[in-house]
Amino acid sequence: MRNSRILSFILILTAIIIILPALVILLWTVTGRWPWPGLLPESYTLRTVEELLFGSSGLWKILKSSVILATAVAVLGTVIALMTARATEIYRIRGRKLISSASILPLIVPGTVFAMGIQVTLIRIHLNDTITGVIIVHLVAALPYCITIMMDMTAAVGSSLEEQAAVLGAKPLRGFLDVTLPQLLPGILSSASMAYIISYSQYFTTLMAGGGKVKTLALVMFPYIQSGDRALASIYAAVFVGSALIVFFVFEAIIHRIVRS
Amino acid sequence: MRRDKIVPVLLILPFLLVTTLVLIAIINILVQSLGYMPVFNLYDVTLRYYAETLRRPEVLQSIGVSLRVSIISSLAAAVCGTVICAALIKTGRTKGGMLYTVRLPILVPHTVVAVFTVALLSQTGLFARLAYALGIIVDYTEFPGILYGTGYAGVIIAYVWKESPFIAYFTIALMASVSSTLGEAAENLGASPLKSFINITLPLSLPAIARGLLIVFIFSFGGYELPMLLGATLPKALPVYTYIEFIKPEFKLRPYAMAMNGVTLLISLAMAVIYAIAMNRLLKKLGGDYEK
Amino acid sequence: MNKKIIALLLAVMMVFGLAACGSKGAEEPAGTDLASASWDEIVEQAKGTDVAFYGWGGDENRNNWLNGTVADYLKENYDINFEYIGMDINDILAKLTSEKEAGEETGSIDMIWINGENFYTAKENGLLYGPFTSQLPNMEAYIDGDDPETLNDFCKPIDGYEAPYAKAQMVMYNDSAVTPETPKNADEFLEYAKANKGKVTYPALPDFTGSAFVRNLIYEKCGWEQFQTMEADKATVKEAIEPALEYLRELNPYLWNEGKTFPADSTALDQMFQDGEVVMDMSYGPFTVASGIADGTLPETCQTFVFDNGTIGNTNYMAIAFDAPNKAGAMVAINAIISGDIQLTQYAELRELPVVDQDKLSDDEKAAFDAVDLGKGVLTQADLLTHRLPEMPADLVPVIEEIWAEEVVGK
Repeated sequence: MRNSRILSFILILTAIIIILPALVILLWTVTGRWPWPGLLPESYTLRTVEELLFGSSGLWKILKSSVILATAVAVLGTVIALMTARATEIYRIRGRKLISSASILPLIVPGTVFAMGIQVTLIRIHLNDTITGVIIVHLVAALPYCITIMMDMTAAVGSSLEEQAAVLGAKPLRGFLDVTLPQLLPGILSSASMAYIISYSQYFTTLMAGGGKVKTLALVMFPYIQSGDRALASIYAAVFVGSALIVFFVFEAIIHRIVRS
Repeated sequence: MRRDKIVPVLLILPFLLVTTLVLIAIINILVQSLGYMPVFNLYDVTLRYYAETLRRPEVLQSIGVSLRVSIISSLAAAVCGTVICAALIKTGRTKGGMLYTVRLPILVPHTVVAVFTVALLSQTGLFARLAYALGIIVDYTEFPGILYGTGYAGVIIAYVWKESPFIAYFTIALMASVSSTLGEAAENLGASPLKSFINITLPLSLPAIARGLLIVFIFSFGGYELPMLLGATLPKALPVYTYIEFIKPEFKLRPYAMAMNGVTLLISLAMAVIYAIAMNRLLKKLGGDYEK
Repeated sequence: MNKKIIALLLAVMMVFGLAACGSKGAEEPAGTDLASASWDEIVEQAKGTDVAFYGWGGDENRNNWLNGTVADYLKENYDINFEYIGMDINDILAKLTSEKEAGEETGSIDMIWINGENFYTAKENGLLYGPFTSQLPNMEAYIDGDDPETLNDFCKPIDGYEAPYAKAQMVMYNDSAVTPETPKNADEFLEYAKANKGKVTYPALPDFTGSAFVRNLIYEKCGWEQFQTMEADKATVKEAIEPALEYLRELNPYLWNEGKTFPADSTALDQMFQDGEVVMDMSYGPFTVASGIADGTLPETCQTFVFDNGTIGNTNYMAIAFDAPNKAGAMVAINAIISGDIQLTQYAELRELPVVDQDKLSDDEKAAFDAVDLGKGVLTQADLLTHRLPEMPADLVPVIEEIWAEEVVGK
């Protein structure tokens, strides 16, 4: 009883620490001036909302392309991670440890440098300034997370049920789809969400691989954040986080529907 | 029999393709850090750039700062993240609003984290204003300078805010499954919830936590935005220093920047190796415990 | 099995390698004879094409102006689809460098917003196309060919590789309701810092604005002439700027955080000024205050000022990438942007100092420029131009930045 009260307190505290900055950001979206020592802004403005809706940025088009791109990375990343995890955890392929260590390699390379190192290669294989090129580079950034999640999940779920199904005469693919996959769904959801958000927030790699031709929300919003226009930066941040939350909600709804059927 | 050999190779193929790309990028950095850049007519392969870089006191200070920031941030994030994760599981909030809230910081880009960290913690930030309104301070210069100091406190706080939820989220799937099976089994056998958590759930979730910790470490060691926006003018964090070196318009200086990137890479690699060794030991120890 | 994996890896690498060696197909040789083409031919060649202009994207007003006013003008008059793409100059150069390294002949960047050190290195390393400016009719019609800023960029010869875009000048500003006084020289600035202890500072170098401000203080203490021809040798430069270093160290104890740390960039300083954490701010955009008052981010009592001896001014330019897919289109667009019409809209909508030569304007054009309402809290164009000092050679700038970090911060 006492324990659960402490745990609830921890969660409430966490929630406050997380939500307070979010509220500050929301308030900043309509702030004109907020000088010391005011606890609330001195003046309010709808300038940023106008800029967002009627400016030259073409918000809807950019949102659409960002969501499609990140979803593609989420799906591809999760499928590749699942395949890799099956190879190492179920088929026990040789060099498992090497593969597992190699999977975190992309994290070790600083993002800016990776993007530049890879750009030369992309140019050589004629994938620079294309969506395919951007997807590949995003995949590199997302895969370490996806693979870790899928390996842990696959190892935890194991293959014993699948083997039983095989003994009962099910084909391997059927056994996997009917028996193991449903159990992996929470991991698949985590992996896809993680890949989505990694892709959604890539700035420098998108810039280098896409050459400014492939436009995403992160790409458009970054200069505003850097330029110090806090109101405009805040409204982009709000759109960014809000749209990602909506997408996650949809992901979850789809997964739940699959589970039920 | 043959099928059993082909299937795993096919499964691993896409991963190998992606890994190849990464290796190419790494090789590119290393080659440039050794001074081989034909496009700028640099052809000599030498370790000179590393030697000169590592002899500069500012670089050593930068390495120190970055190591401190990333070690403290990743450990603190691991502890906070584990506690949050356990609290979520034990209070049965693994779905719905609370989980969404905890996941929020993962969605927030680092640059935005910097924006509100300044809005809250700077000497004229919201907390300083509260202190002023309550009469605790009479001028903002009395409010402690959390940001921009050589202690990098602001950077660490910002990383912990952003990465604790990451660790919680990264761990929750595994911990929830361990807790719902073995943890509850232990409780049914009479162990107290706390004991069952510490003795069963926590050790079995350690692989995920440790991996999360490693990721956060490497990320905060190589991350550029937060130390750039919230750190001190001197000493600079290693990635900031590298970037400044990198954007110097004199391309002949590029190998120095690449050598610094090489150093970042090697330190991250060393951490990954330490992690691998520690994990191996841990798994052996756990295995031993089971046998008992 | 381990061996198999390695073999596989090698095979994959070879596939990539082969793809890498595969020579570039025969790209259409657009613009092979561009250098000798007549202007009419260039305009004809540019008809119906796309032009991508890359540059800093952090100013929403400028983005809107380029993608609106300028794009409409080019579509109407030349049937060109013009697009502005926000990208930091360092990233643009990084991208071009990689393209050069990979032997790319057709990139994606047509025009670049550039100046100073970046122009110098980009030109030195063959990242720019040119010379091309002598082919633009409006260079003759609107730009003063003898102006040092048309010939040189940060004291380095332009040689026809870039055309002027807009003029910038260092200005300082404060809120007259908080501190009515406006320091007129370095000594008054020191007094000002003493009077407002802990509430004055400048952005940490190598921030663009912070770096210019420090160079301005160097000019105050050491004069500006000697630097125009100085060699970028660290010992020489250090000796020359010693009085200024002395002054900067004397200033430190009165600065924000006692000069132990400086705001990371001009953005951070702007925010501190808006919040009232510091009492003075500075900008390379001479009419920043007017825009700030108009957006409501600055109070109406803000005032702009410069030192009596003048402040550093420079010009921003437009260049063409070495691998620009549409060089003809870029030339037409650049020619249009230096016209009186577009410069006028830039002056009116963005409050940027125009690059056109006032003496070359017709009376109507002159009247239109004079009629522009610059807004509140700023100096006039004439006031700025009479207090304008030239930049230092581009290669001195990083040397000074390095010396500053060693000799001034926390000292």
